[in-house]
Amino acid sequence: MGNQVELKQGAAAQAQTQAQTQKQMQTRSRARFNIRWTPILFLLPSIIVFFVFKYYLILDAVYISLFNYDIVSPPGKFVGLGNYFEFLKSETFWVAMKNTFIFFLLSVAIVFWVPIVQALFLSQVKRFNGFYRVLYQIPGVLPVVAGVLLWKWMYNPDRGLFNYLLAKIGLGPYGWLNDLHMTKFAIVLPGFFTGGGIGVLLYYAAIKSISAELFEAAKIDGCGPWHRMKIIILPNIKFVILIQFVGFMSGVLLSFDNIFVMTQGGPADASLVVALMIQRTAFVQSRFGISAALSFFMFIVIAVLTVLQFRLQREDD
Amino acid sequence: MKKHGGIKKSASVLVAATIVAGLLSACGSEKEDNAGGTNNAASQTNNASEGTNASANDTTNAPANTGDAAADAVVEITVWDQPSPDDPAKSFVEEQFAKFDAAHPNIKVKHVEAWQPDVREKFLTAVAGGEGPDLSYSAFPDMQVYIPKGIAADITDLVNGSPDKDRFIDGAFNLATKDGKIYGIPNDMYTSGLIYNKKLFANAGITAPPKTWEEFAADAQLVQQKNAGIVGFDILGMDWADWHFEYYVWQAGGDLTEQQPDGTAKLTFTSDAAVKALQYYKDLKWKYNVTQKNVVQDIGENEKDFYSGRSAMIIGTSDSFTNFVGRGMNPDDIGFAPFPAGPSGKAPAQVGGSFWMLNPKSSPEQQKAAFDYAMFSMSKESQDALGQFKVDNGLGLRPFTVLKDFDVTKFIKDVPQDYLDAVNESAKDQHLEYFLKSSLSSYLVKPIQKVLLDKNADPAAELQKAQDLAQKEVIDKYNNDLKAAK
Repeated sequence: MGNQVELKQGAAAQAQTQAQTQKQMQTRSRARFNIRWTPILFLLPSIIVFFVFKYYLILDAVYISLFNYDIVSPPGKFVGLGNYFEFLKSETFWVAMKNTFIFFLLSVAIVFWVPIVQALFLSQVKRFNGFYRVLYQIPGVLPVVAGVLLWKWMYNPDRGLFNYLLAKIGLGPYGWLNDLHMTKFAIVLPGFFTGGGIGVLLYYAAIKSISAELFEAAKIDGCGPWHRMKIIILPNIKFVILIQFVGFMSGVLLSFDNIFVMTQGGPADASLVVALMIQRTAFVQSRFGISAALSFFMFIVIAVLTVLQFRLQREDD
Repeated sequence: MKKHGGIKKSASVLVAATIVAGLLSACGSEKEDNAGGTNNAASQTNNASEGTNASANDTTNAPANTGDAAADAVVEITVWDQPSPDDPAKSFVEEQFAKFDAAHPNIKVKHVEAWQPDVREKFLTAVAGGEGPDLSYSAFPDMQVYIPKGIAADITDLVNGSPDKDRFIDGAFNLATKDGKIYGIPNDMYTSGLIYNKKLFANAGITAPPKTWEEFAADAQLVQQKNAGIVGFDILGMDWADWHFEYYVWQAGGDLTEQQPDGTAKLTFTSDAAVKALQYYKDLKWKYNVTQKNVVQDIGENEKDFYSGRSAMIIGTSDSFTNFVGRGMNPDDIGFAPFPAGPSGKAPAQVGGSFWMLNPKSSPEQQKAAFDYAMFSMSKESQDALGQFKVDNGLGLRPFTVLKDFDVTKFIKDVPQDYLDAVNESAKDQHLEYFLKSSLSSYLVKPIQKVLLDKNADPAAELQKAQDLAQKEVIDKYNNDLKAAK
């Protein structure tokens, strides 16, 4: 009898447990399918805008690139990959490609590291730190074109400031933008002086987030400033450098404004880059199909380089 | 770690996409065959009048008397003619807008600013996006591109049916005419020539402008010697370098392209005339040393050098007088002369200017309204009023006109007679810009810049390279497309 009661109680408890488990599963299942609409609603406008003004344009460019595009009666004659083959066979394109990558290498050598160094110095400044941080941002407030025009005037070989000042110390005169071999350097050089803008603050914030104990321990172990930078700071801000590098690379490979204002791709195509070729092909020669193909090609090039960049970084980690 | 990598990868692709999309945005296009927002609205209005009768086309002339529904329909058009905010003639232009509105209650005109330097890019973007204006201006060389591409509307019937047609000077429609069809209404015209500083010439003891290439180089050297810090001649070596260079090719007896009887193009970059012209450019820079050091400065900077008294000669147009006086230059110092003759003994001037161009996608009613608007602007009354406004406000007027019944001499009394005589002399032998200039310009600028910047560059070899490249990348395709279309 006693056993029967125990059995019954056991069965009841088992049933209760089963019911509870079932209830929990139902709750979980409901939770899994319970869509939280509020964040979606908040995100939706930006997602729509992004798709309409970014992805739609990219897809549209891919579509346009497949046609001998007729802007009056679009899309014109379908040419498949003909536009891609056409620019790949073009000597001008390879000149532009070569120039684009030379600009990239020059920019890395002359400009990219500047904000890192600025941030390293800034992190050592105790007094008036805020003032210096503002000071670094001021060049970034100046409109790009205005800054470029100022440099263009200073480069003027007839009346420019640079040749005047260099002559005082017995140097020059230099052709600057009038020198086929110096043009690219002259276009990149302003980037060295105008600094890194917001990049300085990003690096500075990353450096400041490194634990002070690490520095103290390194000091006790006899590490000098150079070693501390090499073994503590740079490894710890590597992720910011990488993100900045990706943005920097895209920006340089698609450079347009500064080159257009300074030289319009000249002299003798010495500063012709792919972005200028895209503009020239579309708006001077009215060949929108090829222009779109060039744009998409550059998108692929930058995307591939970016993915490679992150893959190498991951392997390094 | 992997997860982070994925996020980073997505972010990187996103960054790349964002930046590239900026470049692509200009290429965005409306696939549907329509004429854009404004035009759609107008089309809807016009649809209401469909099937009524032909009087819909005449709404602008006698709308109130017909009593026809079509006559009462308002036609909306977009015109790219809004002046810049600091245009000295802005008040006059807006007054004219109001006058047109009052006289044409059935035409509603939306004026859009069209004075920016990149208006050409904006125009093509608008056309590509199906938002092209119903009426806009187009420079002569652009008409060569727009007509075959179907960007300019065929307005032959409108022009032939207009009593205003005969008011235009003989040949005024020629540059906008192809295969007997008319695609533009002449708006303005200029002729090119040599602009020199009379004061600097007088300081050097030179009494008359140069008449040959040799005299030109000698005068430039002399004027430099006798006026400290002055450049003899500001040469154009920037992106429009081929524009001025073509004059020298003409002076040497040739041209840069030839249009064959079947419509195809033939390059003549390596002709004897072109090589001689480029050699002369090279000599001006390296042998005679009469140009500015900054040979890759643009035309605006060349003009600035001239009106600031820093250079003695530049290439200009019949309008330059007005421009430079407006910049504060002493009118007595500005001289105009026909180009010095080259080895051919000839010195043709370039004839330039602009046309009013209509949109082929506009409805017939809109095209008629746009045509009436352009003709209103070109009417004797409007032109006389503009002339008087400019005289009253001390503003210069172009000494050339495309209209027979507009006596421009009444309004340009301040322009010295010798200047006007030289302009007329220059205009006797006129030449059009080289065929396919818009497509070939960048190929020609390269050899010009090369010889101006590298004293070892060989003009013939540089022109050969440019021709080979242009043949491969532009002409072969152009000719093949043309043959395929036939």
